[in-house]
Amino acid sequence: MELLQYTIRKLLAGIPLILGVTFVSFLLMVYFGPDQTYQLIGKNPTPEQIAEVRAQLGYDKPFVVRYADYLRELGTLDFGFSDSTGEKVSVLLGRTIPVSLALITPGFILGNLVALMLALIAAHHRSGWVDKMIMGLSVVGMSISFLIVVIAFQIVFSSSYGLGLFPVRGWNVHSPGDYFAYVAVPTMATVFVALGYNTRFYRSVIVEELTRDHVRTARAFGVPPARLLYRNVLKNCMIPIITRIVFSIPLIVISGALIIETYFGIPGVGKVTFEAITSGDQPVLKAVVGLTALLFVLAQLVTDILYRAVDPRVSLK
Amino acid sequence: MSGEPLLRVTDLVVEFSTEQGVVRAVDRVSFEVRPNETLGIVGESGCGKTVTGLAIMGLIPSPPGRIAAGSITFQGRELAGLPESEMRAIRGRDIAMVFQEPMTALNPVFTVGNQMIDVLRRYRGLTRRQARPAAIELLAKVGIPAADQRIDEYPHQLSGGMRQRVVIAMALSCDPKLIVADEPTTALDVTTQAQVLEQIVKLQQEFQMAMILVTHDLGVVAETCHRAIVMYCGRIAEKAEIEPLFAHPRHPYTVGLLGSIPRVGEGEKQDLAVIPGIVPDLLHLPPGCRFADRCSSRQARCDEALPELDGGEDSRSRVACYFPY
Amino acid sequence: MSVNAASVAPPAATARGRRQTLWSKAAWKFRRDRAGMIGFGIVLVYLVAALGVWFGWWATGWAEVHGGKWSPVSGEYWFGTNLIGQDIYQRSIYSIATAFEVGLVVAVLSTLLGAALGSLAGFFSGRFTDEVVLWLMGVLDSIPFYLLVAAIAFALEGNAYAMHIAMISTFWITTSRLVRGEVIKLKNLEFVEAAHAIGVPEYTIIFRHIVPNTLHILLVQATITFVAAIKSEVILSFLGLGVKDGMSWGLMISESTLEVLAGFFNNFLAASVLMFGLVMAFNMFSDALQDALDPRKVS
Repeated sequence: MELLQYTIRKLLAGIPLILGVTFVSFLLMVYFGPDQTYQLIGKNPTPEQIAEVRAQLGYDKPFVVRYADYLRELGTLDFGFSDSTGEKVSVLLGRTIPVSLALITPGFILGNLVALMLALIAAHHRSGWVDKMIMGLSVVGMSISFLIVVIAFQIVFSSSYGLGLFPVRGWNVHSPGDYFAYVAVPTMATVFVALGYNTRFYRSVIVEELTRDHVRTARAFGVPPARLLYRNVLKNCMIPIITRIVFSIPLIVISGALIIETYFGIPGVGKVTFEAITSGDQPVLKAVVGLTALLFVLAQLVTDILYRAVDPRVSLK
Repeated sequence: MSGEPLLRVTDLVVEFSTEQGVVRAVDRVSFEVRPNETLGIVGESGCGKTVTGLAIMGLIPSPPGRIAAGSITFQGRELAGLPESEMRAIRGRDIAMVFQEPMTALNPVFTVGNQMIDVLRRYRGLTRRQARPAAIELLAKVGIPAADQRIDEYPHQLSGGMRQRVVIAMALSCDPKLIVADEPTTALDVTTQAQVLEQIVKLQQEFQMAMILVTHDLGVVAETCHRAIVMYCGRIAEKAEIEPLFAHPRHPYTVGLLGSIPRVGEGEKQDLAVIPGIVPDLLHLPPGCRFADRCSSRQARCDEALPELDGGEDSRSRVACYFPY
Repeated sequence: MSVNAASVAPPAATARGRRQTLWSKAAWKFRRDRAGMIGFGIVLVYLVAALGVWFGWWATGWAEVHGGKWSPVSGEYWFGTNLIGQDIYQRSIYSIATAFEVGLVVAVLSTLLGAALGSLAGFFSGRFTDEVVLWLMGVLDSIPFYLLVAAIAFALEGNAYAMHIAMISTFWITTSRLVRGEVIKLKNLEFVEAAHAIGVPEYTIIFRHIVPNTLHILLVQATITFVAAIKSEVILSFLGLGVKDGMSWGLMISESTLEVLAGFFNNFLAASVLMFGLVMAFNMFSDALQDALDPRKVS
């Protein structure tokens, strides 16, 4: 009951954020966005034809009405049909989001897990050569552009100039074997880049926690260093770790997938979004932006509830 | 109070490297603790008393700190330079420590019982099921009411005094021979201080432990200790049994400390004595007596060389001063 | 008025004293940080290369087409030529200037914006101004970066600075959050309360006493933003949303995606290695700066 009340309260508190995100993105992408009139119209159009198409696209209505329409669409999750392909937006997203999730999930999980492990190892050997090596490599990882990693990994693992182990591009998945083949290189690239930033972040969180008094108490009662890290300190560090992981989910679905999908030609939501931006496909853009904002509000809710689970001092009141 | 010492610290030197240079937080400090005895270590903050306690526990944060010289023997065994894994077996089991900050000394995300059971399982080899009643019993023993309920609470649900009692209960859980209590009551309010102190002394007798009580409070020392050392700037200024220390303090610093305790009902009202000046910077110590700048008995000789403790091992009162009272 | 000035003098003096020791200590600490000094040195070398491009000393022929398609490395074409016969060496050196231009513009402007809005929010924390700034940060944080950039780029109809504006509009947020936190901390310190109590005007308190004490955060954030801008440029140029006229590592890498599948790597390698060198050096420099300027940082 307490949880339900809390959830409702949080969702209501998320309304200004949703309004803000939708307003800013509506303003930029829809109101100032590309005009599709001339793409849909034949050569030498008459003013009547132009007016007709603009009415069709809803361009003739005042700004406030268009924004209100958008909010109504968001409320009912019915965004109509894509301007460029004519496909129903909900069908389009239903088709592409699973592809992006399948593409991103392994790299996301591995990127965080491996980074956390490396961070624990580094913190355990703090100021020793193992720590210095891990942190040095993480700065190297941070200094290489994601795009460069993607291209380099494609050359090394997929192309005929490298090992040629995996398909060069595309997404032709019919079996678990196919899935592995297509997801391998994007995953390796994602993990490689994620390791740099994540390891550094996790290590600094852990090291900060290691300076706390309760750690000294634990040591004074003979807790072995490994147990100290994995049992005591790790649980103390969960709040910043959870925050980072949950809040990166909404962004990674769009931004993370965008580069990989565009480069490897994978039909996921990132690629669809990018194409919608460049072609001014407003129904698709409106859906993606609105859903991302919703996802952020949900992320906020989920983190707060998880905080409660890991730290008894946090109250849901 | 006689017999073989339980703990003997000889010429202990603890150094910290800072950006400005090496700081000697503890400088050639020697003392011993006999079984069942309580030794007080007194001094202002920064005098090295806490670092001495941490050095005995092998808990000097390293880097930047290290035991640079000297020896610490416990039951005849050398602790200085012992590998961390062997030191860990001694910590908690033979020597336990109670810390100054009860508010932060316990891990906030585990229940009191969880943390205690952890210690009990490790030291007494109990199963989780056996450890729980043992933990409740210990909590009751340190004076926590409704211990069977408190055990499932988190540290933030307890008051400062209760938390300190929990830490004391944890310290007792392994039957240590020596407890290092670092300002155990300083962070508590005055009424709680007295209760917790009383409890510690009672338990010390019951469990037959020796104790090192690190404090800045001479009142606490007078009530609980058999002997005390007074530290100043990392050095021992005076080392004496309690009775002579309070009846005839010999070091000007001890005299100053005693003079700054308010006394009620001693005839007319007196101004509280204050030691003039400030503690010198450990990075820029004078070659002579470190207290000289603040001392009313200062003479030329005081600035030439550091005074060493006078008298022999057996004297009831030893002082490091050229012109003691 | 003269009474006011006199009474404010001591707190202001302590604040300045604190600042001076912080900076001189930081400079001393920074000079002892070997990795940081190496990074700084490399950044300076890159800066000289960029200055040379700006003054027209070298890399002037980056757009000329001669050499023929995919010439190998030679005395004339140090890194070979690209698909249409342009000199890769000149193009990659010219791109250093572009990187500095993007990095500096974005770092300076987003730091200024972040400082202004952050200190405003921090000083009026809990009040309406703060709520509005926090809301704005939350909103901009919730729009996926590349989406926002793309949207701004299209909204500005291909303006050459669309990319810069887009980056600034997201990069100021982190700086602003940090400054806000620091200002809230500072404003509860005695010397600010004292200034308040004797009626020093609020803007004087903000700009004379509080903002100068956040400078160390701004410096570190500016270096972090510089790196982020250079890295973002590469991806945005690849997506066709980046540098419009001129040449950049992002454009070179984007160009090279056609070449690498045909087995020609010079373009890709030249841009990647030069970019990695600058970003890595800057990261090392930035790390050392953080270590030197944050006395509480545990490492």
